[in-house]
Amino acid sequence: MTTERQRAPRATPEPSPALRRAHRARDLFAYLTLSPTLAVVGLLMAYPLYVAIDLSLRGGQISDLLNLEQNPLTVDNYGDILTDPGLVDDIVRSIVYTLGVVLPAFALGLGLALLLNRAFPGRRIIRPLVLLPWAVPGVVVAAAFSWMLDASYGVVNHLLRSAGIIDGNVAWLVDENTAMFAVILPTIWKYYPFFILVLLAQLQSVPNELYEAARMDGASPLRQFAHVTWPAIRPAATLAIVITGIGVFREFDFIYPLTGGGPNEATQTLAIRIYNEAFQFFEMGAAAALGIVTMAICGVLLTAAGRSVRRQFG
Amino acid sequence: MSTTPSAPRRWSLLALAIAVTAVLMFPIYWMIMTSVVPSERLLVSDPPLLPPADAASLDAYASVLSDVPVMEWMWNSTLTTLGAAILSTVVSTLGGYSLSRFRTRGQQAMGFTLLFSRMLPGTLLIIPIFVLFANFGMVNNLWSVTLVNTAATVPFTTWLMKGFVDAVPVEIEQAAMIDGCGRAGALWRVIVPLLKPGIAATFTYASILTWGDFLFARTLMGNPDGWTVTVGIASFIGEFSVDWSGLMAVGLISMVPMVILFLLLEPFLTKGMANGSVKG
Repeated sequence: MTTERQRAPRATPEPSPALRRAHRARDLFAYLTLSPTLAVVGLLMAYPLYVAIDLSLRGGQISDLLNLEQNPLTVDNYGDILTDPGLVDDIVRSIVYTLGVVLPAFALGLGLALLLNRAFPGRRIIRPLVLLPWAVPGVVVAAAFSWMLDASYGVVNHLLRSAGIIDGNVAWLVDENTAMFAVILPTIWKYYPFFILVLLAQLQSVPNELYEAARMDGASPLRQFAHVTWPAIRPAATLAIVITGIGVFREFDFIYPLTGGGPNEATQTLAIRIYNEAFQFFEMGAAAALGIVTMAICGVLLTAAGRSVRRQFG
Repeated sequence: MSTTPSAPRRWSLLALAIAVTAVLMFPIYWMIMTSVVPSERLLVSDPPLLPPADAASLDAYASVLSDVPVMEWMWNSTLTTLGAAILSTVVSTLGGYSLSRFRTRGQQAMGFTLLFSRMLPGTLLIIPIFVLFANFGMVNNLWSVTLVNTAATVPFTTWLMKGFVDAVPVEIEQAAMIDGCGRAGALWRVIVPLLKPGIAATFTYASILTWGDFLFARTLMGNPDGWTVTVGIASFIGEFSVDWSGLMAVGLISMVPMVILFLLLEPFLTKGMANGSVKG
């Protein structure tokens, strides 16, 4: 650790005035350098969050969002949302979407990180290529997949028909049964490189001697992975899964342009519902309450994700 | 450290890598392919998988560039991305330094903020932010998109930067301070030059996120003059009969700046992830 202690151990009960001045200067500098971060986070996260909470507790027709005190305080928004049977469906869809993206993306990322950690010719060209989707804007990914998954002329249908897997065309984005899969696919493609980035860095820090020792003990590749590789990358993998998971849970950029939450709400996750409530139906109070509930659900899921996560940030 | 397998082993690894890469790169290949083949050849039940030599052309690029204000969208994206990436880098360099060098409450708060900021749904935050900016007359002003994206990236980039500052021995700046530098002088003249890889990683991360931002730009820039390239592209998707060649051409054009930036700065980013996540 290269951290300077802010409070020196109290060996002498009365520090000299000069030392106190030095400490004050250091504390001042510590807060001065942190203040831009605090200002940005405070102004554009904490304050909007405060307004959102306020908004979620107001009843009546909200006409002026800057003078919310005109509207009476109430918990009706929460009452309406929590008694809406559709909420459970939205939560389930959000979880299905999140797991449907994170698990395959992690498996793909881990597999590629393990592959790229081996020496083979051309590795330097392959690595940036497989990382590339991360640099592509989500909306462009959505556009590319909406074309590939097009019902009439999409190449996916064409390839599957040629391979004899399907007989007729599938309307991936329009059919209620396939729409969720069709929005998950591009999201996986966008998110797997992040896992490579994190995991490859970890793999490269595992000392080679550990593998040599394991091989000398006659450990199979699978056992080497379980006993050498996995313990070394587990903390970073957990962190990456959690960060990605919460990101995907509130993801907007893929579902909204592809389906807008349809067909027949088949891809309406919480994030999409909040947006539609606010900017389509102008139910600001309900949208805000839904957002707060979404955060609470996120918090519960995070806590359930266990202690290993908290250790990472402790 | 990676192991060095035998020669046949290495070639089979290469074959595997090429096969996987081919599948993963297919969407990009298909975008390129679509952009150079005229619509009448594409809108059939069995489109060609390779660009037909007799029909391939760059017409889609020419027509999309003349029909749609792609270059204005690109310019708007460039302004917001540069602004947010520079702001985010400055803020997180200072913040990362502060968190690395001083054990304040801010340190624990930062870990919490990082997680918490990810938990805040963007679709929730954008409602009050929209009102806030509307009040200051900043809706349809690119600064609003720049600032929101700065805020969206700062929690992560600060954590990323802290990892890089942690790797700089504290003795270096102590020596500079003994030589008569103030704290600010030591930070600026000694630490910042050593943080170039971290600055590169932070800049890349913030750029890619802001360039790809759709939610904030779509909500804050209602006026088509202020559209960024993502908002412009999304406006294509909803249309009744989509000009697929044109859409893929715009998509590819929009990818170019970030792909170049990414290829140049990717090694720093990989290193940054290592620094950041090694700290347990």
